[in-house]
Amino acid sequence: MTAQQGSVALPASPVAPVHSLAVAGRRLGKLMTLPTQLLLLFIFVFPGLMIIYVSLTWWGPLDGTPWYDAYESLNWFDNYIEAFSDERLWGSIGRTLLIMLVAVPAEFLIGLGLAVLFVDSFPLKRVFYSILLMPMMIVPAVAGYMFFMLFQSNGPINQILSILTGSTVDFVWLNDPNLAFVAIMIADIWQWTPLMFLILLAGMLGVPEDQMKAATLLGASWGQKFFRIVLPKMKVVMIIAIVIRAVEAFKLFDVMYVMTKGGPGVATETVSVYIYKVTFFDLEWAYVSAIGFMIMVFLSVLGGVGIAMMARAQRRRREANMGAADAAARG
Amino acid sequence: MATQRAWAVAARYVLVLVAIVIALVPIVWMATLAFKPVAEWTTATADLTWLPKNPTIGNFEYIFTGQTKEVIVTLEGTALRPVLASLVIASLGTLVAVAVGTLGAYGVSRFAVGGNLPLSVLQLRLFPPMAVMIPVMMMWSYLALVDTFWGLALIYGIVTLPFAFWLMKTFFDEVPREIEEAALVEGCSPWRVFYRVTLPMVKAPLATTVLFVFILNWSDYLVALLLTRKDWVTIPVYMSQLNIAMTGEMYGAKAALGLIAAIPPVVLGIIIQKHLVRGLTFGALKQ
Repeated sequence: MTAQQGSVALPASPVAPVHSLAVAGRRLGKLMTLPTQLLLLFIFVFPGLMIIYVSLTWWGPLDGTPWYDAYESLNWFDNYIEAFSDERLWGSIGRTLLIMLVAVPAEFLIGLGLAVLFVDSFPLKRVFYSILLMPMMIVPAVAGYMFFMLFQSNGPINQILSILTGSTVDFVWLNDPNLAFVAIMIADIWQWTPLMFLILLAGMLGVPEDQMKAATLLGASWGQKFFRIVLPKMKVVMIIAIVIRAVEAFKLFDVMYVMTKGGPGVATETVSVYIYKVTFFDLEWAYVSAIGFMIMVFLSVLGGVGIAMMARAQRRRREANMGAADAAARG
Repeated sequence: MATQRAWAVAARYVLVLVAIVIALVPIVWMATLAFKPVAEWTTATADLTWLPKNPTIGNFEYIFTGQTKEVIVTLEGTALRPVLASLVIASLGTLVAVAVGTLGAYGVSRFAVGGNLPLSVLQLRLFPPMAVMIPVMMMWSYLALVDTFWGLALIYGIVTLPFAFWLMKTFFDEVPREIEEAALVEGCSPWRVFYRVTLPMVKAPLATTVLFVFILNWSDYLVALLLTRKDWVTIPVYMSQLNIAMTGEMYGAKAALGLIAAIPPVVLGIIIQKHLVRGLTFGALKQ
């Protein structure tokens, strides 16, 4: 893949053909990748083994025994069994998925709409573009605090709503379970729509111009061009954008922990917030390890399937392209 | 036809302006709040105003010196140390990530070594940090790395390594090999080729990567929340503790601090705007 506009470099691209530099520097190459390998080993292997080991016990930080003596309270799979009937855990997973299912599509659609507005040039485009990207660059914890202030019952959001509706609005946003949930989703959408916009715009600008011109000459309407040429060409870009956002949405912690601490009650508790609370308030580290390990296994499987699917789609596309090139060469 | 176009232009501007207003309102709110005196923090007494009626730098004075005329409570532990801690830790973490990532990326890009390394690096990014951090906390406290700057720099370097690695890999992949091979033929050792020929060629991309990774490290909250206690508390963690010590919410003080935390990433982000897409998609997309 070359550096075309908006081109997609596949993660599993074949390695470069052997040439003199590759041969001469093989040993150096191994040395150079060593620090990366070591860091990965350090962060995957030791914590991985630790989390499995501790998750099979009742160990906690207040036991008075160091973690390596955790075997004294070995319980095999009790933590895992407990997790399956832990309603708070499943509730938090459900809420995380709900946020993903509402916020990510909302961000995608708004981002796509904005990208359409920005695809051809107009005066002040660059300034507007820079401003629109700003929410994404705000430190998430600060963004959480910003929305915490905005959503106070005597805060600006209620004031704006009061002006717009003409009557006094005094929602207690962050103390009402449903409103608090809406509030954190608004915060997430505010912060991450720019990311979708950025990626989708890059993808849209990568659509070959000659095809668009040809379609215009053939009298295609804007809608036809958009749905028949632009969207199909952007498939991979859209998948990348959605996958990146979905993965990040599953991690959601900073914004909502600052805004609501998962409350009121457990109304806005996501998986990360739940794990945090069990870690620091209940100090059940063994149990949390079991949950963490299950999440890692689950996501690894999911990630593996995703990468395999991407690689297959890329291969198919490449084969299709080569087939077309062959046909063109023959024809 | 002409009226139709005028309509389209007008509609575009209206929609873009709405988006701009929505993007800016929260930021402007915080920025103006940072300059408001205590009486204007909430609507409890008066109507909410968007611009400060009596602008003051009292909030900044308060968080950095611990006292100001208006607030009776003296602040214990000013924001000075957290600001420095954020700077030091984010910079060192960036150094670790970019140094390790650049070497690894060059190795993978040029010498066909490492096998599945790029994908393993990417996998680091998949897991929710909260799920991974429990054993990290155990390890860090076992190795006495909690609340030390090298401990935090190490974990920041690991957390942002995927970005540094993939960014540099795509940059290296774009550099033609012919020059390097010519240098090799001239008798340079592969290391000298990298150090003397390739690195100078990727100076600008390297700077982009440094800024990008710095933004990410600066923006962290969770890792610092788990691994700092007192000495190396970063801005976001300090900010969330600010109201525990006080009675009531320190809206203005927090807004001032939030503004300070928000400025570096926004400025740096605008500087490297051209490369944001590449950074955020691990090099999969270019602009």
